[in-house]
Amino acid sequence: MKILIIEDEEALAKSIGAYLSDAHYRCEYATSFSEAMEKTEVYVYDCILLDLMLPGGDGLKILSELKANNKQDGVIIISAKDSLDDKIKGLQIGADDYLTKPFHLSELAARIYSVIRRKQFSNANIVEQHELRIDIPAKTVTVNDQPVNLTRKEFDLLLYFISNKNKVVSKTALAEHLSGDIAGMFDNYDFVYVHIKNLKKKLAEAGCDNYLKTLYGTGYKWEV
Amino acid sequence: MNKLLNLTMKRFLLYAALVLVCSVPVYYLALNRLWQYEMTEHNIVLDDAEGREDSYLIILAVTSVTLVFFVLLMFGFILLNRRISGKLWQPFYKSMDQIKHFDLSSQQSVQFEQTNITEFSEMNQHLRKLIAGNVAAYSQQKEFADNASHELQTPLAIIQFKLDLLMQTSNLSNEQYQLIEDASKALSRVTRINKNLLLLTKIENSQYMEEDNIDLSALLHHTIQTFTVFADDKQLVFEEDIHPGISIRANKILLEILLNNLINNAIRYSSNGAVIRIRLAENTLTVSNAGNTPLIREHLFRRFSATSADSPGTGLGLALIKQISTRYGWAIDYSFDNHQHHFTLKY
Repeated sequence: MKILIIEDEEALAKSIGAYLSDAHYRCEYATSFSEAMEKTEVYVYDCILLDLMLPGGDGLKILSELKANNKQDGVIIISAKDSLDDKIKGLQIGADDYLTKPFHLSELAARIYSVIRRKQFSNANIVEQHELRIDIPAKTVTVNDQPVNLTRKEFDLLLYFISNKNKVVSKTALAEHLSGDIAGMFDNYDFVYVHIKNLKKKLAEAGCDNYLKTLYGTGYKWEV
Repeated sequence: MNKLLNLTMKRFLLYAALVLVCSVPVYYLALNRLWQYEMTEHNIVLDDAEGREDSYLIILAVTSVTLVFFVLLMFGFILLNRRISGKLWQPFYKSMDQIKHFDLSSQQSVQFEQTNITEFSEMNQHLRKLIAGNVAAYSQQKEFADNASHELQTPLAIIQFKLDLLMQTSNLSNEQYQLIEDASKALSRVTRINKNLLLLTKIENSQYMEEDNIDLSALLHHTIQTFTVFADDKQLVFEEDIHPGISIRANKILLEILLNNLINNAIRYSSNGAVIRIRLAENTLTVSNAGNTPLIREHLFRRFSATSADSPGTGLGLALIKQISTRYGWAIDYSFDNHQHHFTLKY
């Protein structure tokens, strides 16, 4: 999977690259408007991470250009501007997602995973891992062909872990992911435990191996 | 309170009355002298009674003529005063009207009318300077808040990313991991404060202007649902008394922020197992929760006034609520009785 990171802040671009590159993503970088235009014209990427404020031009122009040329690359806007107008404009032009800085790298990985899955044909939308089988569009999970009944939040969590395979995911990141709009309004993240406990229990009862490990007390890792 | 010109007019009238009253004996003496002289010249002799009668006649005539003139003067003064105060002070009243309707946050400039009266033109000039200075300072401050918040996002993201990467390094001890998690938690609080500050600035800058008719009853119910997960953690119970079908005209995002913050506050400051009452009536929304001591009402809605070590919020929730209420002309108030905090929104 090829990812293009269009971001002028080197520390940000390199961190994203470091996080994604161990997860079988190949990352390339563009640090200016013209470099980004060149790369997107010549190459095809599975997902493009697009910062809007770039030296030399507006990131939205790159997006318009991609869409005008009928390119199928997935695009996630990562912007420091928490502006509703930009968000609506970006999504209208054809971005697949919009993330406001700062965010957790695990959140970004989950969004990239979802965008790439959506872009591919439907048979790729089924994740298989040994006895576990997840049909993403249908939102169903089976273990050894036996259906497992997960709530929406539990399914959401499972996908989050799958898209952050072999990574340590903090409770804070999970809490912010689960609570969405009202993220971070609370300092008590115990509600995360409840969902994880239920998810683990349901998978174990269906005969699934324990891939979800608890680390250091409050961290989690989906180990494969 | 007196109008400025009425004050002078009273004095003018008094002076005119005094002069006219004094003029009565002077006229009398002059006329009497003239009369006597004419009598002597034409050898007319009057007896005492006739002479007295003539004196009285003269006094009467002089007094009534004076009185007529005084009344004429009085009417003239009053009429002139009205005309003058209307015309002369018009530029002043106009300037005053401009200032009365001036709102620093609305970003409208003040246009004073041209006047050829030195005093007023000078006053307008100084007012213009004063207002321009204020507007500049205000927009500078707003711009600063906006830029500062934006500029902070990038370094905040860098810290966040580095912590996320640090977490992935192998052979971390539990203690090291906890340090990272704690730093990450504090960082997300900073991020939240920053976001709320930006939001406040945006509302002040008249963004989020689109308005819709929103079903407040449904939205409130939905908001409570969303918060149930967090309320369950503290075994809190919501008591809803929501009048159905109440709609309100506002920006949906702002209204959601307002409701989120109101309910979030109630949850945050309730002890375990408490009851939170939410009542929506025709014109009021009240959120009540138990508490021991009343909060200081004057400070409550100011930025960063409510934060303390044991209540690690952003300190901006109530300020946001206040700002949004002000935008729509709603009133948000706080009261305390029977060991209950009540936040009431009147719309």
